[in-house]
Amino acid sequence: MLKYALRRILYMIPILFGVTVITFLLFNVAGGDPAAAALGNHASAERIEQLRREMGLDQPLIYQYFDFVKQVVTFDFGRSWSTKQTISSMILSGVGASLSLSVPSFLITLLITISLSLLLSQMRGSPLDKSVIVVCLAALSISSLVYILFFQYMFGYKIPWFPINGWDPSWIGRWEYLALPIFIFVVIQVGSNMLFYRTIFLDEIHQDYVRTAKSKGLNNNVILFKHVLRNAMVPIITLVVIQMPFLILGSLLLESFFGIPGIGGLVVRAINSSDFPVVKAMTVVSSILYMIFQLASDLLYAVVDPKIQLK
Amino acid sequence: MKSHLSIAGRFFRLLGLISLVAFFGTTISCTKKKVDDTDDTIYEVIEQNVKGMDPVYSSDVYTSRAISQIYETLLEYHHLKRPLVLQPLTAASMPTASKDGLTHTFKIKPGVKFQDDPAFPGGKGREVTAQDFIYSWKRLADPANRSDGFWIFDGRIKGLNEWRAAMEKGKADYDTPVEGLVAKDDKTLVIKLIKPYYQLYYVLAHNYSSVVAREAVEKYGKEYLNHPVGTGPYQLESWVRGSKITLKANPTWHGQTYPTEGEPGDEERGLLKDAGKALPFAKKIVFHEITEDQPRWLKFMKGEVDLSTIPKDNFDSAISGGAVSEEMKKKGIALLVIKEPDVTYTAFNMMDSYVKDKVYLRKAMSHAIDTETMIKKFYNGRAISAHSPIPPDVDAYDPNFKNPYKTYDVSKAKEFMKKAGYKEGEGPTIEYSTVSSSTSRQMAEFFQQNMAAIGIKVKIQSTDWPQFMNKIREKKAQVWGVAWLADYPDAENFLQLLYGKNISPGPNGANYTNARYDKLYEKASLLPPGPERTKIYREMRDILVEDSPWIPGVHRLGYYLHHGWLQNFKRHSIISNYHKYLRVNPKKRAELKAKL
Repeated sequence: MLKYALRRILYMIPILFGVTVITFLLFNVAGGDPAAAALGNHASAERIEQLRREMGLDQPLIYQYFDFVKQVVTFDFGRSWSTKQTISSMILSGVGASLSLSVPSFLITLLITISLSLLLSQMRGSPLDKSVIVVCLAALSISSLVYILFFQYMFGYKIPWFPINGWDPSWIGRWEYLALPIFIFVVIQVGSNMLFYRTIFLDEIHQDYVRTAKSKGLNNNVILFKHVLRNAMVPIITLVVIQMPFLILGSLLLESFFGIPGIGGLVVRAINSSDFPVVKAMTVVSSILYMIFQLASDLLYAVVDPKIQLK
Repeated sequence: MKSHLSIAGRFFRLLGLISLVAFFGTTISCTKKKVDDTDDTIYEVIEQNVKGMDPVYSSDVYTSRAISQIYETLLEYHHLKRPLVLQPLTAASMPTASKDGLTHTFKIKPGVKFQDDPAFPGGKGREVTAQDFIYSWKRLADPANRSDGFWIFDGRIKGLNEWRAAMEKGKADYDTPVEGLVAKDDKTLVIKLIKPYYQLYYVLAHNYSSVVAREAVEKYGKEYLNHPVGTGPYQLESWVRGSKITLKANPTWHGQTYPTEGEPGDEERGLLKDAGKALPFAKKIVFHEITEDQPRWLKFMKGEVDLSTIPKDNFDSAISGGAVSEEMKKKGIALLVIKEPDVTYTAFNMMDSYVKDKVYLRKAMSHAIDTETMIKKFYNGRAISAHSPIPPDVDAYDPNFKNPYKTYDVSKAKEFMKKAGYKEGEGPTIEYSTVSSSTSRQMAEFFQQNMAAIGIKVKIQSTDWPQFMNKIREKKAQVWGVAWLADYPDAENFLQLLYGKNISPGPNGANYTNARYDKLYEKASLLPPGPERTKIYREMRDILVEDSPWIPGVHRLGYYLHHGWLQNFKRHSIISNYHKYLRVNPKKRAELKAKL
């Protein structure tokens, strides 16, 4: 296992190299002139040229690329052009806010969907099962924006149980502002996840080992929680791990409607204000996160399913 | 069945637990909280995130609104008078100018102090001197700061561009003198210009020219933008980036009084009730940074913010027949309508090999645009048709001037198409660049429909804002729609957008050059405001109309709503430091808020 993990980490190096090369080319070669973008509407050609020199954009591309690699390795991406804050501090402060929203939402969704789909897989074809499928399909076909607009209007304004929008940086105070977005996040996610997990459990329930266990007289709960759930873990982990980087990257719409100063809003603001250093840093950081979680999922497969050999 | 029930029971127990955990620590109030009837705080929304609180980066109106409460300039605009009138702020009086217009002397008001801050000895802010202004303006010029505001002094002040060049080469520092910036004594500042610059006083009311303290800049270094230290009526109490800015009254502010005169009608509107009283009225200002329309609007409707613009989707419920609707009136909500100093326009790239020589084609397109329908459809009627780049309430604007090619007339448009050499229905294909927001896209489609009526095919190219601007800067766009909001109330600010020396990547994105226009622009720049300059501006306007490098779109109208408890509210898009004049009536707020 350790050998496999080390090998996978080593494999990440060429992938990371590819990511940095593509990101660098996208921003420094194909992405237009960063100096012009940084200077705004009143800039003269002379001033743009001057800034290009100051930013080192007149240097050969290879030197510029090595500067970028240095930034990635040291996690020091310099300062944002727009807010002049250090990018690392912007990312770190945004991650806290994004995780406060996404982790509880994610866990609640996971618990609800796994438990409910386990239950439904036992009641296949029953009126409850059918109605839940219909509700999930209907819920899936509604845009997440509609949920946000509706629930914010309903529970922030019409029946003012929650604040319409806002943020408290303290760990205790923030939950007042997070309750409604967490609820909406769960509502948005439940539909699609439910249908996915239900299908997985149904696949498992019709396996031979379940029939054998039943014929041996094993308790239904033992079959479900000890065997079915464990065997269904591989696809569940795949889905969960794929969703992980997005938890850190936050939910853009929820963050911007509820005023949560997370990573999602950070990226959009950076894109809209041509803040290339921030966009570049976020592109690399999200790629690295994706790779890490991919590795984590591969390792977890082996933990939950001994049949999977890590070679 | 038994097993189903046991699983269901377990499931619901789990669900109960989850609900408990999820909402643990949250404050859910089903009853209305009692409204505080002593709170005189001003609550306002800033529609975009504030970038930082350093005047050299005050390029956008949102950042300016926060900065202008903390920092101050030598001059400012009068709160009530329209068209805008300048008045001293940290200057003791209006400056004196030499006869040739090249030397301007400012006396600094005694008692103007920097806010108390650990950057100063003993934490006590010191008196502002002429040297502070020189230091602040050098910061704006310093290439290391990469400010996009240097244009206000670029090529204007003797020796400043040379100092900037020397800084870049490491051959100067902040103690190196600049010939055109002289502190005759602590309170006398002399500005020497290279050539007359009649917009100088306007730019000295711009946030870029605010005074900063060298001690604070040096103490906080690159973090200065998070530690603002100014001379203004408010100082920063707390800032949750991307969410909320709280400002508190600055106890060492030099002080001002509420204006005693305004424009006709101000007295009737109750805007002079506080005449002569000491400012500021509110002890605190809270700015919520909210970028989305719905939460902004709901917060206003709930009385959590005192004033608001009207989102497009809420316009019909808020406004009826040009006034506030009955429902709004009942809630004590009032409306202020102002003419924005801006212009929207469709620009042609005059370096594009296809459109540059086709003046008849450009005129045909101008006739084909149905501006009135556009105003109804996209602005809820909140705009007036523009006939030139010059917006209302600035010098040389003539409300009676009609651009002969601006009338919506498809038959005339077809005549011009014929003159341009196209057979009916066989117009060219034009590439129209726009921003990928839904409204911009809809506007582009409307343009496409208008053009289809005269046989022009329009290919819409939507990108995000930075790419859109890049295309224009790199002279790659062919035709596009955009807007310009005034930096100062002078037609020059709009006419420079078509000056030959400002072509891309400068502000003349249309890359329009006309030797006569450029000569007139240069001539006007040496003239003080007055009939002679106005005449030249209008001559320039006429050249533009005939050459049609732009199709002027609209001048927008600003609709601002405010609650009945907010007094002295008057706005102009160029003015951002109006909060010191605002007064909240806390008792009225409690009373009206209870009805919301």
